[in-house]
Amino acid sequence: MSFTTLKFTLNGEPIEIAVSPSDMLVDVLRDKLELTGTKKGCGKGECGACTVIMNGKAVASCLVPALKAADAEIETIEGVANGAAHPLQETFMDLGAVQCGFCTPGMIMSSKALLDDNPQPTKSEIREAIAGNICRCTGYVKIEEAVEAAAEKLREQR
Amino acid sequence: MSAVKREEQVVEDSKYNVIGKSVRRRDALAKVSGEATFTTDVKLPGMLYAKVLRSPYPHARIKRIDVSRAERLPGVKAVATHKNTSRERFNTSATMTFTVPHLQPVLDQYIFDDVVRYVGDEVAAVAAVSEEVARQALKLIEVEYEQLPAVYDPLEAMKEEAPDIHAGCHEGKNVPGEVVKIALGDVEKGFAESDLVIEESFKLPVQKQAQMETHAAVAQVTPEGTITVWSTTQTPHPTRMILSKVFNMPNSKIRVLNPPYVGGGFGVRIGCSAKAEPIAVALAMMTKRPVKIVYSREEDFTASDTRHGGYARVKLGVKKDGTFHALDIKGVLNGGAYCSFSSEVPGVMGTMTLAIYRIPNENFVGYPVYTNTTPCGAMRGFGNPQGNFPLESVVDMAAEQLGMDPLQLRLKNIMKAGEPWCLPYPCSSTGLAECIEKGAESIGWERRGKFNKPGATKVRGIGMGVGTHVSNSWPFCVDYDNAYITIEQDGSVQLATGVPDIGTGTSTSLPQIAAEVLGVELDKVNITFGDTANTPFDIGSHASRTLYAAGTAVIAAAKDARKQVLEYASELLDTPAERLALKNSTVFVAALGLTDSCSGSGVCQAGSGKRTSVTLQEVAAHAHLHNKQFIGVGRIVPPNSPPWEAHFAEVEVDLSTGQVRVIKLAAAHDVGKAIHPMIVEGQIEGGVLQGIGYALSEEIKYNDKGKQQNYSFHNYFLPTAEDVPEIDAIIVESNDPQGPFGAKGIGETGLVPTAPAIANAVYDATGVRFTEIPMTEERVFFGLQNKRKC
Repeated sequence: MSFTTLKFTLNGEPIEIAVSPSDMLVDVLRDKLELTGTKKGCGKGECGACTVIMNGKAVASCLVPALKAADAEIETIEGVANGAAHPLQETFMDLGAVQCGFCTPGMIMSSKALLDDNPQPTKSEIREAIAGNICRCTGYVKIEEAVEAAAEKLREQR
Repeated sequence: MSAVKREEQVVEDSKYNVIGKSVRRRDALAKVSGEATFTTDVKLPGMLYAKVLRSPYPHARIKRIDVSRAERLPGVKAVATHKNTSRERFNTSATMTFTVPHLQPVLDQYIFDDVVRYVGDEVAAVAAVSEEVARQALKLIEVEYEQLPAVYDPLEAMKEEAPDIHAGCHEGKNVPGEVVKIALGDVEKGFAESDLVIEESFKLPVQKQAQMETHAAVAQVTPEGTITVWSTTQTPHPTRMILSKVFNMPNSKIRVLNPPYVGGGFGVRIGCSAKAEPIAVALAMMTKRPVKIVYSREEDFTASDTRHGGYARVKLGVKKDGTFHALDIKGVLNGGAYCSFSSEVPGVMGTMTLAIYRIPNENFVGYPVYTNTTPCGAMRGFGNPQGNFPLESVVDMAAEQLGMDPLQLRLKNIMKAGEPWCLPYPCSSTGLAECIEKGAESIGWERRGKFNKPGATKVRGIGMGVGTHVSNSWPFCVDYDNAYITIEQDGSVQLATGVPDIGTGTSTSLPQIAAEVLGVELDKVNITFGDTANTPFDIGSHASRTLYAAGTAVIAAAKDARKQVLEYASELLDTPAERLALKNSTVFVAALGLTDSCSGSGVCQAGSGKRTSVTLQEVAAHAHLHNKQFIGVGRIVPPNSPPWEAHFAEVEVDLSTGQVRVIKLAAAHDVGKAIHPMIVEGQIEGGVLQGIGYALSEEIKYNDKGKQQNYSFHNYFLPTAEDVPEIDAIIVESNDPQGPFGAKGIGETGLVPTAPAIANAVYDATGVRFTEIPMTEERVFFGLQNKRKC
């Protein structure tokens, strides 16, 4: 098996790691870099648990060949808190948006990609942004409320 | 629901300091930061990875299996088959550890057998240095099968000419365990005395739990022979008992733990996580290295328990004035290829359906039936939704024939506290009437029947359904709990309980209960949970029982510890223990109150000079220096109490496509007492959405070769964020006399009456009654067309 050196920026830090052409980004993150906050729920891009932000866009990291991440800016759940918890993390905690927690990192990454791009999303824009993230526990009610509340917090901070 | 409305709804009870408040969940920070560890995240030095070879046939005998080529593949460390693994029969579900004494558990599984009974059944497993190598090795295993006749429908499987799927079915063809029969009064006489008798048959789908973390286990065997298993189980202690039986090892030498988080359950891993734990342990014993197994999503769908589908027939006898007089229910449930919980599910289907109304003559018979499909076991509701949808549909049919408002008809007949019913424990409380009232108000029941104009292509309707459930698994299963509370030397508190936290927030709500009873601040309490090595035995997290039953044990342990503290402080304060109180981590003379007691320093001492209060920290430190620690033990057998729920749905049906859209679902639940209101709302909302899936979109079908047609999120239609209607979760508190602080079980009720509320709303909108769910676009479209033809 041939290995290639992959270089990219991960949560603001430069990374260099040997990967094989068949490696997916999710496996590089979880197994090689031991960042297990990014979850794997289906391996087929159907559940959203592995969502990370790549060059500003939310992507299912199980569908991204690792080599496609060359020179990219990748942000994972581990990089979201910048000293203090991100407003999304705060509102997810305070408004009951967390139950089993397995979808939570992916849900926060999809929501963050939305809010980074659109500080004042409508309800339907929030729903569209997280439509690819399955949560089987919450019924999404409190997740949607948390994203709305985080958007408001972020606007206040700006 | 808007945030404003929620604040109004959740009235914080000033009587309590800690419970009744929606404090930040203890696990929240770990989960939002990505730090929370799940079984699928566990990695140990030298760890191997396992993959499973599964049967391509629904029923076959393995004539020959040759693993030599697989074993020779570099990186392969072991190949397990029926030839080199335990021949101990077991049942992957915890029923084998807690079947009630007058019944025998059905033990019909081996880790691997020489007969495979469904597409996906385990044939062999490989442990290798990577998943990729293990996967390659599977292709090198040569298996010669002799195909056997197969059957997929439970009614077909009960026929004499059907193939035998297992030996030893003494209750009927392919019927495992016992046929469940429940009777009250004389049902035939009851029908003869009724003015109106309605009978209808229903078809029920196979639903999947689809918890987000697939089944997984990591097993490690020490040189001394002790075994540690990190597991996704909902029941660490019973799972340990299963492994102890399979591997003929003492319980005490096996440790089963959650790591500590579990990515959901919904019943699918009460006992083992499918066969993840036994396969990982078998391979770890063979290789002397840690072995990890993670099910793919397809394996999770095809090779782990589903909800039981099948058939139900309901016959309801009613008097002219609307009084229910006789009810007869028959259930035939598809149990799949192995028994799992199939002996218990029909009992819950029967009792929970019969228990809703006061009916003097009742009868239920429920058959679990083996077929060559994926095994069926526990899923949220555990048989209750399978009976509730049929009965609550028939109640609406009765209301129409009587010319009565279905809401009034229900109010007239619902169970009352203390009335006789089919269960061997009393109906201790009910707030169902209040649930009906509040739910009706939320949905705007008075608007029913006034929506639609002739010629409209989209029509609206409103419907309701009501139900109950259990707060633990007794009398269907053995059920008891233990808890330890240790007061540490500095007055902080360590709580240990054997239940896990599968996402339902028990690691927050149980400490709330402990802090309330002890009279300490919540942040002084730490909890150990989900680990057999450092918690006392507990039956686990299922049957809506964790808060109710483990909470009762926590109260007992906290009272025990508190009593010890007060007795010890009695000498320090020179006051009899019964005159002392403990609040805000301070022991004080109760008659004086906390604010007027003297802590032994400052101004108050200048008065009487007698000390009338002492902090828990001081008591614990004093005790420590005198060779003593306070350790409270709670050992309880929980009573059982019925939660109640009333659901109201408003739907819109597109007559041209058959699409049903839920506009709003009001779900009013008598939860007894909400220990953590926000967690309770979350349970209701999540249950409601699973119920909407059950009603409208979720279904696993099998083709004529026994293969699942819906084994991924791509073609098993779970509701997504875009499918969520307005959900109004309404908490009603009847303050049950038995539950901890009045609480009742809340884990499953959200799902139970959702499907009939929607089906009744669809009928209200269209005049077409659907007796088969899910009400997919296709099913509704053709249902509407058939009506037009008539």
